[in-house]
Amino acid sequence: MERVYFDHAATTPTRPEVLQAMLPYYTEHWGNPSSLHLEGVAALEGVERARTHLATLLGADSDEIVFTGSGTEADNHALAGVAHALGDKGDHIITSAIEHHAIHDTVEHLGRVGVRATHLPVDEAGLVDPDAVRSAITDRTILVSVMHANNEMGTIEPIAEIGAVCRERGVLFHTDAVQTVGHVPIDVRRMNIDLLSLSAHKLYGPKGVGALFMRDGVTITSYVHGGGQESGRRASTENVAGIVGLGEAARLAGEEMEQETAHTSGLRDQIIGGILGAIPDVLLTGHPTQRLPNSASFCVAGIEGEALLLDLDQEGFAVSTGSACTSGVSEPSHVLLALGLPPDIARSSIRITVGRGNTAEEVDRLLEVFPRIVKRLRDMSAHRPALAERVPHD
Amino acid sequence: MTERAPECCLDLRGTPCPLNWVKTKLRLEEMEPGRRIEVIVDQGNPERNVPRSAKMEGHRIVHAISQNGAVRICIERAEESAP
Repeated sequence: MERVYFDHAATTPTRPEVLQAMLPYYTEHWGNPSSLHLEGVAALEGVERARTHLATLLGADSDEIVFTGSGTEADNHALAGVAHALGDKGDHIITSAIEHHAIHDTVEHLGRVGVRATHLPVDEAGLVDPDAVRSAITDRTILVSVMHANNEMGTIEPIAEIGAVCRERGVLFHTDAVQTVGHVPIDVRRMNIDLLSLSAHKLYGPKGVGALFMRDGVTITSYVHGGGQESGRRASTENVAGIVGLGEAARLAGEEMEQETAHTSGLRDQIIGGILGAIPDVLLTGHPTQRLPNSASFCVAGIEGEALLLDLDQEGFAVSTGSACTSGVSEPSHVLLALGLPPDIARSSIRITVGRGNTAEEVDRLLEVFPRIVKRLRDMSAHRPALAERVPHD
Repeated sequence: MTERAPECCLDLRGTPCPLNWVKTKLRLEEMEPGRRIEVIVDQGNPERNVPRSAKMEGHRIVHAISQNGAVRICIERAEESAP
């Protein structure tokens, strides 16, 4: 059976051009970038060229890019680094109720060492209110961290406005942009961003490499100590080939973003229209328009998201659900609960995220299969709630 | 006849070897052949390393002037850089 991959928010395939750019750094230029000889310089060239490509994509200077081992590490580095560096100035971090676990769990960890956190609520479309950020800032606030776009429901947050509030109040602003870099235009200057996390494998680069943008003048405590790599900001011998892959993925994304967005948003809208039009009691989660170009996410009342995922998998489609199954019990996503959805509705979530390689024909096939599976699962279910009466915005 | 001024300048004071050369090289790659860049490096190893590496890749050193503890090196981009 031909497989169709509709889970690009989880990870993307490494582009062949990216792999081609990486391979010489395994076979020829395998020197250590810290070495002073020619072998080292060849590896260093790859790292620095990648830094330039990534900086260009973000509207940053290359010296403001710190390569990391992942987006999660970049998030940890930003939050823990600020908390440590500014511990004498304050002990309060503001974040949102819909952050990825890389932020959520790091904030929770910092709570054990005395850092207090405010988790801002979101509206029914998943938006954080910049005025709520302004109101939450105190003279003890050292950092605001709000994600650029949510991974589960695709809502794009007003981070330029939130960044402006932070700049006005003299508080550092971090954004987890793992879902947006390479897919949505970013200008760190215009958006008033001080720190930004990203991951290569979300933009057709390799796994195991990410980066943290640190605005010039922002000093945070290093998260990994050792050999002084990355100008002392992140020790460890560089993942040279991975970094080269990230740089090439960033370069290609910058060149092709407009056409890719047109392609993916067309497929996304085909999915949203097709599913909402064909199946009753389905809710589009997240903002109807201010959302990732590749992301369609739904709650399908009366069924478990995981059951739908597994049936779609058997039919050849790879999708995702927001609920996590632990010991046979499906846990509703904290993101969907934050939208005000009842737990059983939140458990019925399904996320379909398209990519550059998907086609309209593949979406047509999904739209043939999807209603049939939903009907069968609902027929098996004893209880089917009337969604319209149970969600906050209907 | 006055000497043609460089089109851009890269201040690499405080940047160690070989990173100073790599940054110079990446900037040269963006330039048209025949264009000139001025790089400012620290005295000592950087003032030897950057011109040597530039010449190895076929670029021309127009001049190198010591000034206030640093060295201003004017490099003209080669028609075709060595690989």
